[in-house]
Amino acid sequence: MTAINLTDMDSGQVINEIVKNGGEGITRCIQCNACASVCPVAQAGFPLYGRLLIKKLQTGHFEEIIEDPSSWACQACNRCTEICPRDARPFEIVFAFRRIQAQELAISASAFTPLMNLYETGHAVYSESSKELRAKVGLPQEPPTSVGSEKAKEEIRTLLDNGPMGDLGIF
Amino acid sequence: MAKVGVYVCHCGSNIAGVVDVQAVEEFARTLPEVTVARRNLFMCSDPGQEIIRQDIRDGLVDKVVVAACTPRTHEPIFRRVLEVEGLNKYLFEMANIRDQDSWVHAHDKKGATQKAKQIVASAVAKARNLAPLEDKYVDVEKAALVIGGGVAGIFSALDLANMGNKVYLVEKEPSIGGVMAQLDKTFPTNDCSACILTPVMVDAGNHPNIELLTYAEVESVDGYIGNFDVKIRKKQSYIDWNKCTGCGACAEACPVRVPNEYNAGLDNRPAAYIHFPQAVPKKAVIDIDACLNCAGRKIGRELKISKKTGKPLLAPCERACPAGAIDRSLNLDPKGELVEARVGAIVVATGFKVMEKECFKNLAPDSPNVMTALQLERLISATGPTEGKLLRLTDMRKPKTISFLSCVGSRDENHHTYCSRVCCMYMIKQAKLLKEKYQDLEIYMHFMDVRTPGKDFDEYYTSALAMGIHIIRGRVGGIDKLPGDRLRVQGYDADLSSNIEIDADMVILASAIELPETIKPLAQKMSLTLDGSGFFKELHPKLKPVETAVEGIFLAGCCQGPKDIPDTVAQAKGAAAAAAVPLSQGRVKIEPIISEIITDRCSGCGICVPLCPYGAISMDSVHEKPRAVIDITQCKGCGVCTTACSSSAIQLHGYTEDQIMSQIQALTA
Repeated sequence: MTAINLTDMDSGQVINEIVKNGGEGITRCIQCNACASVCPVAQAGFPLYGRLLIKKLQTGHFEEIIEDPSSWACQACNRCTEICPRDARPFEIVFAFRRIQAQELAISASAFTPLMNLYETGHAVYSESSKELRAKVGLPQEPPTSVGSEKAKEEIRTLLDNGPMGDLGIF
Repeated sequence: MAKVGVYVCHCGSNIAGVVDVQAVEEFARTLPEVTVARRNLFMCSDPGQEIIRQDIRDGLVDKVVVAACTPRTHEPIFRRVLEVEGLNKYLFEMANIRDQDSWVHAHDKKGATQKAKQIVASAVAKARNLAPLEDKYVDVEKAALVIGGGVAGIFSALDLANMGNKVYLVEKEPSIGGVMAQLDKTFPTNDCSACILTPVMVDAGNHPNIELLTYAEVESVDGYIGNFDVKIRKKQSYIDWNKCTGCGACAEACPVRVPNEYNAGLDNRPAAYIHFPQAVPKKAVIDIDACLNCAGRKIGRELKISKKTGKPLLAPCERACPAGAIDRSLNLDPKGELVEARVGAIVVATGFKVMEKECFKNLAPDSPNVMTALQLERLISATGPTEGKLLRLTDMRKPKTISFLSCVGSRDENHHTYCSRVCCMYMIKQAKLLKEKYQDLEIYMHFMDVRTPGKDFDEYYTSALAMGIHIIRGRVGGIDKLPGDRLRVQGYDADLSSNIEIDADMVILASAIELPETIKPLAQKMSLTLDGSGFFKELHPKLKPVETAVEGIFLAGCCQGPKDIPDTVAQAKGAAAAAAVPLSQGRVKIEPIISEIITDRCSGCGICVPLCPYGAISMDSVHEKPRAVIDITQCKGCGVCTTACSSSAIQLHGYTEDQIMSQIQALTA
């Protein structure tokens, strides 16, 4: 592996982008690794878990990591933010990065299905096979949520279409 | 018949956890001339001491043996017990059954108990032969010598002077101020160093009790606490300081240019110069090694009159001096002037030096754009070579990228194993000052780990992060020189787990703080020892932090180990307080455990004279024959002379031959 030349990296601009997207704690991170110790993303073996993602962003890496799917594995469990001794709020930085990834259409394939589900049913996790299962136990096939309400689904679609997600033109 | 009392200490479980103290107590009762034997959980506690006191009051004992921890810390405590009860305090003997027994034989309880019995038997044997000794006192000279005019020396001198003592403040440079006078600003408050130091320097310079001896060095130190005889060599300045007004006209006239020590060699100064603008005293000196003797004006050469003009041929400095302080016709002694002083106490505050960049071959030391942090300090100071502007001296252009390298020579088995303690903080300070001034400057700092242990220090460090200064974990391996005077820093980022490179315009080395080699002869002159790190060794790292093994000599500042300014000032004030104790007491005790020459037995062979490490023994004529004599004020009771004397003519009180022999007998019985 060749050495990374940090001189060419515009870390200031990358940090600014993260701050603009809600990750203003990024300059407070001192790489203590407390967040990594509790992170399910790290435990699951994704390479770019919280603290390493922050380090890459702090040093101006951007192009190299924009396609990395690790951030989409974040379960939003918030444990990193609870444990962080410097109030860097790593979870917010991961989500800021995810927002930038979405703007760059660098959304992980694993995230597409839930996203489309959300648009179509109002649920990120929803499967057609649940209808049969529900019928078996005597429940209505469609749950009394957005799934069964055209009006609710329409509202959700309107929200998504008119928000930043809509601008991406993926729906 | 002696009445020996034996007191066995449990020392909590330190001793009793290993040694069968009850068995030792019972054994002690069987020893000859032992009248009582007792034991206690802590003999040094108040109830423990009371047991001994009661036995003395009851007339049961007249000699005391305590079997316990160590005489190093506890002998004075038990001696005082005897003294309080009216018994001579030297009729006490300590049996060391902790340090030399239970601690080292924790695995062998039976053996340790046996050894404890033998140690107690030996102590009892000696105690039976102990004789009372009397303390002696000598008067103290109410004056102090402070060696070194940096911030440590200045504060020690001021405190001692304010207590009413005469103080000689010796500084080798023409002005006091030391390294602190070279600094731009100070962490973590970013105070201007000169602004806070200069008034204190002026105070020291004007204090009626302080005799300022700058441009001077200590030549010799003799004597002992209360009465040190010191010789101080005032270097020849070649300028009459009584007349010099510090106007600097001579410096302007002087054509010579040599590296300027005050600016850490970044620019040049003339041969006739004033140390720095805020110098105290503000007096000029002529650096005679650099002087060109303009117009043939060698020192001591008669004044010539020009045949052409009829005017005297003067050197430019002579001509320029409006005060008439320079007269090169005078036959000035190049050795300067010797000042003798008698002082009661000495504070050593000789300071430190930073390692030069030349020590680090892998860090491109030949590039002028690689500099030590002290040099950067001068570069960013308003009184520095660029008047505070950050410019590369190679092209006088502002750098865009700067890399700071920590632990250069520190925490390194090849140089110094210790942490130099202030580098992390001063590098952060320099980075912050630069980033505040030049926001477009990219600053990288390479650390093994950031060490910021101090009040408000860590907050200072994290504020640097928030300013966008890049902190990189990983020590730098080398620097490559690139075309255009740029430097490629080869590093590693442990957080990224990746090699990194930085193309920097300037690289700053936080080189290690060390004791200058030139101080070692001074240490020898004062019989002071250096520690494993090469700094002056304090008497005890925790409880005697300003004292030395030589009574009456105290330490302050970085000569004792790396320190920041607050710690230096605190220690300097501590050293002054400790040095003031003998001065204010007016007299000091001389331990009676010292050697005596029995002149009748002395053969005058003189073998003891060179062996004495304190120079206490000399030869004198007694009944027209050479005989050894001992200066009781110099003798430290080490006993070297007694072991060497082939005629058994030297007796060490408290360790006489019969006492030692009875101990050996008891041990080998």
